[in-house]
Amino acid sequence: MDNAIEINGLRKEYKGFRLDNVTFDVPRGYIMGLIGPNGAGKTTVIKLIMNLIRRKSGEVRVFGLDNIRHEAEIKSRIGFVYDVPRFPEDLRLGVIAAGVAAFYDRWDEGRFKGLLEEFRLSPRQVFKKLSHGMKMKFSLAVALAHDADLIIMDEPTAGLDPLFRFELLTKLRSLIQDERKTVLFSSHITSDLERVADFVTFIHKGRIVFSAGKDEILDTWGVVRAAGDGLRPEDVPAARGFRRTEHSLEVLTSDLAAARRSQLSGAIFDSASLEDIMFFISKGNAHA
Amino acid sequence: MLKILRLEYLYTRRQILIVLTIFSAYFAYMAGRIESPRVFIVMTSLMVGLAMPFTILAREDKFKTAVLVCSLPLRRSTVVLGKYVSTWAAIVVGLGYALLLTSVLPFSKVRVAEILTVKTLLISIFLISLIFAVILPFTIRFGLVGVIVLLVGFQLLGILALVLAQVLGGARNPMRVFFSAVEGGLRTLLSHEATPGFLLALLAVVIALNALSFVVARALYARRDL
Repeated sequence: MDNAIEINGLRKEYKGFRLDNVTFDVPRGYIMGLIGPNGAGKTTVIKLIMNLIRRKSGEVRVFGLDNIRHEAEIKSRIGFVYDVPRFPEDLRLGVIAAGVAAFYDRWDEGRFKGLLEEFRLSPRQVFKKLSHGMKMKFSLAVALAHDADLIIMDEPTAGLDPLFRFELLTKLRSLIQDERKTVLFSSHITSDLERVADFVTFIHKGRIVFSAGKDEILDTWGVVRAAGDGLRPEDVPAARGFRRTEHSLEVLTSDLAAARRSQLSGAIFDSASLEDIMFFISKGNAHA
Repeated sequence: MLKILRLEYLYTRRQILIVLTIFSAYFAYMAGRIESPRVFIVMTSLMVGLAMPFTILAREDKFKTAVLVCSLPLRRSTVVLGKYVSTWAAIVVGLGYALLLTSVLPFSKVRVAEILTVKTLLISIFLISLIFAVILPFTIRFGLVGVIVLLVGFQLLGILALVLAQVLGGARNPMRVFFSAVEGGLRTLLSHEATPGFLLALLAVVIALNALSFVVARALYARRDL
């Protein structure tokens, strides 16, 4: 499969945090969701792709090119939306966009104005007077106005109300369907990713837990539930985490089919949602 | 390069106008009080050299727009070069404005013709470069907080040096020798005959100072995590 982003053995250390040997690919023309709890390393990965922070080791290739040696060339094809938009807050949207537009050969002023209209924004509005949702929409309009081949978004839906989130996700979906763009989209809101992502990479404590197609994950991962003391976590094949309550045990497995075949007495088998997976791995008891 | 200059201009033009408005009063006061063109140009250079870079870089610090600029299709070295060129452009505008005021204000004691000499202009550029060469790499790497720490550090060093000069006493103590050397150097700089050799040497020092400062700033900025 043709990849828009290839990440190999990426490492970065901060005081109290280590991104450790992160490796995954983002296939071209799809939406990749990067999920994980707060502090898992999602923003660090995105900053490393954008060369905003220095890596300790590893390699990032975007469109087949090294992201540091070909920085300018790569960034001309990337549209970025950060969790907190970093624009001069006291300026009008039109002035901010005019400053950015000059850097992109493919900047389409007509498209930009169309997006502002679609998002009910005016170039005369001052950035600091916008709500968080409107700021994110402006950020998205800037990211899309230069016909970027890759859109990188760091927690774009955090802090947005459900209506804004729905609009944003619909827009992302239409981008992929109509224009075959690639989107890397980090979030801790798993329902957003279940709605739009084609692939999901789960990062936890600076390590990749899995990176695979969303449907494949939802088909293969599951939760095994049993009442009483009849079930032990180690009885469940490919157990990845468990939660014990007073009267029952729930075990997350990455091989639901094998769990079903193992004839666990009194057990109930369910598919796991992304939220289940994130919960069991980050909050439940870990199980190798 | 032109794109980054345009960006800096668009994003700071209002603040540069505000600074120039405030400078109007200051320059008018200086032009009306100071008779020596040398003192005028030294004071003006110090003010412009400090205020212009701060005005531009303070906004980047306040709004954290370094993330935006470094996400644009640019190399980091181009971003740093853009900062040097745009700050110098702002300084040239500031000095030009000071000269314009001096020439139009009826009460000005300084004549523009006295300032508009190659030597005076080179000396002013040299003095600005001295300040700028130290401050800009710090601002680019550590933001305004870093510069405030640097300036406070310099002030404390100055106070310590003055106290030491008093405590040690005698005309030949190291502090007094140092101050005399600085004073003598500045006096020589201002009074030296404007021979072609002297002007070329001054120009070479200005270029070397800025080049060295840029190299340091570029290396520091490459290590900055945003």
